[in-house]
Amino acid sequence: MKLTKEEIQFIDNYLIKNEVKYWDVRLELLDHIVSAVEDKMTNDGISFNEALLDVHRGFGNQFIEFGVPKDKIFEKGLYQSNAGFKKFTRQKQKELGRKYRKIIWKHLKVNFSTFKFWLEYLSVILIFIMLYQFKPESCFLIGLLILILPNMYSAYYSLKDKSTRKSLSFAMATSSAMAVWSIYNLSFYILKENYEDVVNMPHIFFVIVTCLFYPMIRTNIEVYQKVYEENKKTFNLKLL
Amino acid sequence: MSNSKLYKGSLTTIILKLLNEHDKMYGYEITQKVKALTKGELKITEGALYPALHKLEAEGLLDVEVAKVDNRLRKYYKLTETGTKETVNKLEELAEYIKTMQALMNPKLA
Repeated sequence: MKLTKEEIQFIDNYLIKNEVKYWDVRLELLDHIVSAVEDKMTNDGISFNEALLDVHRGFGNQFIEFGVPKDKIFEKGLYQSNAGFKKFTRQKQKELGRKYRKIIWKHLKVNFSTFKFWLEYLSVILIFIMLYQFKPESCFLIGLLILILPNMYSAYYSLKDKSTRKSLSFAMATSSAMAVWSIYNLSFYILKENYEDVVNMPHIFFVIVTCLFYPMIRTNIEVYQKVYEENKKTFNLKLL
Repeated sequence: MSNSKLYKGSLTTIILKLLNEHDKMYGYEITQKVKALTKGELKITEGALYPALHKLEAEGLLDVEVAKVDNRLRKYYKLTETGTKETVNKLEELAEYIKTMQALMNPKLA
């Protein structure tokens, strides 16, 4: 028995209500749930509601029926717990994180083996040294701008292509860059506690950190681009 | 994955073997295929299947393909070149394990 468009839409909405906010996670869950519900309705002869509740529990979303009136079991049962879906998302997040870390290291190695990259990297270091000599207090801001480049890049893509929004793979593609700039930002606030004036801060610290993380930030942008192209090819984003 | 903890360690090999025999498969199809092949003896739960699939994908052993099927999108998994090579290794490893266990459990047959 095939589910109607409305029933599939109901399942998609049920997933959204259960906080499965990333479309690339929902896509896989939706197909699995629809297939399982269709199967149960056809082979076990049960209703849509019974089948969906059954599949919902199968994902590890527990439901305690005690005290719930019989006519409310379906309605309450679907939204009492989303622990199974949360675990599903967490595990996928973990694997994506592992995948992208691997890709970043691979790209880093490749970058460091090219003359072009070394030239670019040494120029950045040189510019920062000059900046430190002439206008040390601007080092923090310029450094911050460089470190948030991947985020600016992803913001540009989310404006350009809506499929990059609410996507776990895109969120994970920039997560390592996010971590870098939050550490940088945090260190600025710690220093601010100890130095009365921004001008007196040890600006060399920002120069060193920015220059140290620059290759990773640069690689992160490349990886983001790669993820975008891969997803475009895999999901044929026009379908979404 | 239900039934026994003994099956858990072989889940990746089972997935790779199935994908080696089929061009591409989707998640639910894998669970049903395993159920049918083992006459219901082995049931792979969603909670075990997808983390394993995502791990294999992250390791570069599986590739994905998305197609529109009956008003929804379906994610198919297929072996990459590395995945095909790894399947051979994993199957050899499993065969070796079965042989060793056989020798331990039933020395006369080994």
